[in-house]
Amino acid sequence: MALFKPASTPWLLAHELRLTWRGAMAGRKRGAVGSIIAFSVLGVMILIGGVFLALGMRGHEVPVQPLSITIAALALAVILTLMLSTALAGAADALYVRGDLDLLFSSPLSPRKVLFVRALGLAVSALLWFLVPAVLLLTPSIVLGHPAWASVFVVLIAAALAAAGVGLLLAMALFALIGPRRTRTVAQVMAALIGAAFFLASQYRNLMGEKASESLFARIALDAKEGRITLPPLADLPLRAALGQPLPLLALVAIGAGIFLLSAWTLGRRFADAAAATQGAETRKAAKGPGRAFAAGAFRATLRKELRLMGRDAALLSQVLLRVLYMLPLALVLARNAAEQPAWMLAGGAAGVAFLAGQVAGSLIWITVSAEDTPDLLALSPTPVSVLNRAKLAAALIPVGLLLVVPVAVMAWFQPMAGFWTAVGSGLTAWAAGMIGIWRQKPGKRADFRRRRASSFLAALGELAVTMLLGAATALAVAGWLAWAPLPLIVAGALMMALRRTEEQIAAALRAAAVS
Amino acid sequence: MTEALIVRGLSKTFAKPAVSDLDLTVHAGELYALLGPNGAGKTTTLRMVAGLTQPDKGEVSIFGVDARKEPAGAKALLAWAPDEAMIYDKLTPLEYLEFVAGLWNIDPTTAKARAEELLATLGLSDEARRRCEGFSRGMKQKVALAGALIHEPKLLILDEPLTGLDAAAARLVKDMLRARVDAGSTVILTTHILEVAERMADRIGIIAGGRLLAEGTLDELRGKAGERVGGGTLEDIFLQLTAEAA
Repeated sequence: MALFKPASTPWLLAHELRLTWRGAMAGRKRGAVGSIIAFSVLGVMILIGGVFLALGMRGHEVPVQPLSITIAALALAVILTLMLSTALAGAADALYVRGDLDLLFSSPLSPRKVLFVRALGLAVSALLWFLVPAVLLLTPSIVLGHPAWASVFVVLIAAALAAAGVGLLLAMALFALIGPRRTRTVAQVMAALIGAAFFLASQYRNLMGEKASESLFARIALDAKEGRITLPPLADLPLRAALGQPLPLLALVAIGAGIFLLSAWTLGRRFADAAAATQGAETRKAAKGPGRAFAAGAFRATLRKELRLMGRDAALLSQVLLRVLYMLPLALVLARNAAEQPAWMLAGGAAGVAFLAGQVAGSLIWITVSAEDTPDLLALSPTPVSVLNRAKLAAALIPVGLLLVVPVAVMAWFQPMAGFWTAVGSGLTAWAAGMIGIWRQKPGKRADFRRRRASSFLAALGELAVTMLLGAATALAVAGWLAWAPLPLIVAGALMMALRRTEEQIAAALRAAAVS
Repeated sequence: MTEALIVRGLSKTFAKPAVSDLDLTVHAGELYALLGPNGAGKTTTLRMVAGLTQPDKGEVSIFGVDARKEPAGAKALLAWAPDEAMIYDKLTPLEYLEFVAGLWNIDPTTAKARAEELLATLGLSDEARRRCEGFSRGMKQKVALAGALIHEPKLLILDEPLTGLDAAAARLVKDMLRARVDAGSTVILTTHILEVAERMADRIGIIAGGRLLAEGTLDELRGKAGERVGGGTLEDIFLQLTAEAA
């Protein structure tokens, strides 16, 4: 921080990046080693891929032809969309989550400078997800004969700037249209939808009921290769820019920086007003009261409270929505196959449904158990921990049950036994993930939902292995190979026993976590 | 005289001793103020009494129930309201009280009537169906206090209950606590506002370095502080005793 003049833009940006870094590292202290190992392994794998790419491309140039133009344009579109999703969610967080805007706006810094730096922070956080792998993948090629490919990094920077600018514009437009109360929820949901948009688009043939199994992107690439596609004007801009041609590169940088500067400089005052409005926003009146009567007993009261809190958590809703969106094509493929194919053809889909059920249950149990807002209140009450855990498990499983209704019902309609085994397998997987979440709970904050797995590497790994094994058992049962299903079931059971903790052990672990 | 709370030899060490061999007795139906400088061990003591922190050693008895052997029985008798309100921002006050009443297994009809009455008394009726996320600190404190009172505890433990409250709300809370004590409940509170303890408390305990320095009515404390403070205020006594202990 001492490197820069206090209150200057670089000084504020350094502050912003430090907060972003610490936010990203929060909750990783204990799982830091695991995270570092995982990221390092991934990094090395990308680097090895980069070396092979460099060796393969040595002495070859990328031709500017319809196929390469199409691939580059589609890749940039996908990257831009994912960056926009990150930036939009980040823009909503900047308004609602970080509690430092009052401090910044009460200082002599101009609101424009504050927004400019915050927008730059959004761009950097969106950029890093793509820039780091790109550096690892392309550096060998840059060193071994393709120095111009370094332009890809500049293209990514331009894309991040554009995404941050559009993300801010979208957030502010939502603010103006629907007010401060709803902007956060809608922005989170929109971010999830935008993030999943290209996946859904790629699956449109499945969604529309066509039998071909290739994705939209593969189809477009094939059409481009065989000359059946007419490329729109300037479609070659991303490829030419990525290959280091000066004018296209300059054009993309100008577009990205232009969008960014336009939104950052024009929205400064509005952003300050919007941030102030979020502080004084009228609190939301409950859509329904607590029913006409209070819930009777600790189990029902806890269940009701957890369901209410889940239903009012914008970030959680967007994450669950994202999983539902990814499950949608799978469910439709299952439905079509169930009508037309023998049971064994459904095995993979059934395993997928069971696995996703476990993943969603694992996420929800983290919210209900580990991210409990007032653990002291529960510890203070005379209600046994086992009753509270049962209620929290039930609260986590109810939404999973609702998600499963459609795919299981459709399968059961056409193939009753396949539907039955999918229901049993998915239920068992969700329950197992829930129990692991209870046994391996570690206090966290709801805001850290996306980083929940970093807090306990062992639990995350165990949950993944158990849900995969139970998914495999489901697949074997659906395929009619029931005799083989106990094998993964036994391994999953053994893993569960290894992960199991008694109430006393859980309490001791929580006390140890509180002290550390 | 029935004892609401008996603490004997209570000790807790974190990085260094927080509470050391503490003995404390609070009579039923009195308002007891536990005073001490920052880091004296007040909150740790009260957390151990409430069953939120495991003591290293010592005994805690609440209305004759051994809190370490029968935690559920002891917890059923008490309520604890810390200085940071234990509430859920995404729940309304009424929903929060429904949950707390459920935890103490209060009959739903009774709980609902009590909740509405408490919110009315605390001036929160108009906010009963609004989520707590936009509430001021004082309003959140009032919601938490309502939560502490909904199961009509025999022993009410409050850590800095007046923090964040405006003058009117502070008066309201003080009146409520006095009324509870007059009706037979026992209240233990910590506060840094010595005038509050001086005016409200039946007996006062002064703690520093995890040890009880003195205990008694204001007059008894004056007697213990002796000639040095003469007929001084509680503030004089407190500063004298804690300075001697330092």
